Amino acid sequence: MSARAGHILAGAGALAVLATLPLWGGTPYGLELGITAATFTVLSTGLNLVYGYTGLLSFAQVAFFGIGGYTSALLSHDAGWPVFAGALVGGVLALLLGLVIGYTSLRLSRHAFAIVSLSFALLCLIISRDWVSLTRGPMGVPGLIAPTLQLPGLGRIGFDRPAVFYWLMLSYAVLVVAATHRLVRSRIGRAFIAIKLNQPLAESQGIDPLRHRLLAIGVSALTSGIAGGFYVFHLTIVDPSIFDFYYTETMLIMVIVGGPGSFWGVVVASLAFTAIPDMLRFSHDLRMVLYGAILIGAMLAFPRGVGGWAAQRRLVRLRRPILA
Amino acid sequence: MTEGSTRPLFALQGLTKRYSGVVAVDDLSFSIPEGAIVGLIGPNGSGKSTTIDCISGFQVPDGGRWFLGDAELTGRKPHEHATRGIARTFQTVRAFDEMSLTDNLLTAAQAHDGLGWSAALQGGRGLRDAEAKATVRAEELLDTIGLTEHAQAPAGTLSYGQRKLLAIAAAMMARPKLVVLDEPVAGVNPTMIRRIEAVIRRLNEAGMALLIVEHNVEFIMALCATVIVMAQGRKVAEGSPRRIREDPQVLAAYLGADTEAHDDE
Repeated sequence: MSARAGHILAGAGALAVLATLPLWGGTPYGLELGITAATFTVLSTGLNLVYGYTGLLSFAQVAFFGIGGYTSALLSHDAGWPVFAGALVGGVLALLLGLVIGYTSLRLSRHAFAIVSLSFALLCLIISRDWVSLTRGPMGVPGLIAPTLQLPGLGRIGFDRPAVFYWLMLSYAVLVVAATHRLVRSRIGRAFIAIKLNQPLAESQGIDPLRHRLLAIGVSALTSGIAGGFYVFHLTIVDPSIFDFYYTETMLIMVIVGGPGSFWGVVVASLAFTAIPDMLRFSHDLRMVLYGAILIGAMLAFPRGVGGWAAQRRLVRLRRPILA
Repeated sequence: MTEGSTRPLFALQGLTKRYSGVVAVDDLSFSIPEGAIVGLIGPNGSGKSTTIDCISGFQVPDGGRWFLGDAELTGRKPHEHATRGIARTFQTVRAFDEMSLTDNLLTAAQAHDGLGWSAALQGGRGLRDAEAKATVRAEELLDTIGLTEHAQAPAGTLSYGQRKLLAIAAAMMARPKLVVLDEPVAGVNPTMIRRIEAVIRRLNEAGMALLIVEHNVEFIMALCATVIVMAQGRKVAEGSPRRIREDPQVLAAYLGADTEAHDDE
C-alpha cells in the first residue's frame, strides 16, 4: 500500500511540475519542448500498446499521426470545421484505416503486419506529396491558425498562445496515458501480453489474437490521429514531412529504451528523449554523435529497456528474503 | 453430464490431412464417451499430432468433421474450440514465461466467463466475482499440482516437469469438457510421471474427459480405459489396454517402425 501511495505521490508531483511549466519554464523554447514531449508521449504510448503489449512491430503509427493531421487541417482550413471536431474525425479515420491494414495483414502473420504497416506509412507519404488536388502536394496546407474558444464564464481561450496550447496537449496526453493505463492494467492487457508471449497457448485458452490486436491497433490509431490533428495547428502547417521517418525513429527509440511492454518506462523515456537531443545543443558539431553515444550506452545498460531493468530489480528485491 | 445419453461427448468422422501428396491422416474416425480417458498411440509419423492439431483448430484438414456434443466444430478457429469446451496442451511445453503461475492460470480462464471488454474495463461486480472465482480455482489447481509455494514466481523459473504440470493445470482451468494432452510425460523423470498420472486421475474424477497422446505406452496402459492405435495415418486398433497389447496388428505396426526414435517434430 505504501508503495502505491508513493507512486501516486510521485505521479502527482510530476504532473504538478509539468502543469506549471509555463510558470517556471515559459520561454517559447521551453513550451515548444513541452508540446513536443506531450505529443511524443501520446505517440510512443500508442506504439508501446501495439508493439510492447501485443508484440506487433508497427511502422504505421506515423501514418495515423499524419492522417489525423491532414484530416483536421483540411476540414478546418477548407470546410471551416472546428479544430476539435476535425481532429476527432482525423482520429476516427486513422482508426478505420488501422483496422483495415490490421485485419487484412494479421490474417497472414504478424510479420505481414510489420511489412504492410511500413508500406502503408510510405503510401501515405506518397499520397500526401502526389495527390495534389486533395493534399496540395509538397507545399502542404499552410496558415493553420489554432482556434480561440469562447467559453461562458472563462472568457476567451486562445490556443494560439503557446502556453495554452501546451496545456491542451498536456491534458490530452494525460487523458491518453490514463486511458491506456486502464486498458493495459485490465485483463484485456493481460490477454495482450499472453498473445505476445505465446500466441498458440493464448489461442488454446480461448483468447482471440486477431480481435485483441485490432483493439490495440485501433486505440493507438485513434489517439495518434487525434494528436496529429492537434499538433498541425501548433506547426501552423501540414505538409508531407508529417509522415517523416523521424517520427517513427523517435517513437521506436522511446519505446525500446523505455522498455517494450513497460508502461511507465516508455512514458519516462518519451520525456527524456525529447529533452536529451536538446540538452546536447551546447555542441553543434558533436550533438548527434553524443546522442548516438547515449543511445548505445542506454542499450548496453538496459538491454530490456528502463522498464525491464526496473522489473529485474524488483524481482531481485523479492527474492532477497528467500535467499537470506 | 447427462444430456444426450447415446451421443458420445466427442465424435470425429473421416479426418483426412495431406501434406503435398503425403497422407498424414487417412479417413480417421473415433469417439470419446463422457468422462473417459482415451489414449492415442502409434509410431512416429503415424499422424497423432496432426490429428490433435486438427481437432483443436490449429490445422485445417482436407476432409472430415468433428463434434463436441451436438455442436459441430469443423472449420472453427483454435480459440473457438477452446471457448466451446476443448482444451489442449502442446508437445513443446508452453507457458507464459514472464507471468506468475497464478497469472498463467487466470489468463487461461478469462475467455470463458462470458464477460466482454466493457465489463473488463468497467471493473464492476461481475468482473470481481469472476476473477475471485478464478483465483480460488487457480489456488486449488496449484495445490493439486503441488506448486502452491511458487504461485507468484514467473513460470519461466520452473523446471521442465513443473512446466508440464502447469500446462495441464492451465488446460483444466476453465473446466473444459474435453482435454487433449500432447505427450504429457515425454522427457519427464519417473517421479514426476507418477505425479502427473495422479493429477490426471484426480482431474478426470472431477468429470473431465481426456484424450492423451503419448509414446510412453506403460503410462497410457495404466491410465486409459480405451486405447486407439494409429499407424501411417490410419487407425489400426482400438480397445482396452489388454486387447491392444495382444493385437497382432499393433505389434506389426510397432515392430515395423523404429521404436527407439523420439518424436521431436
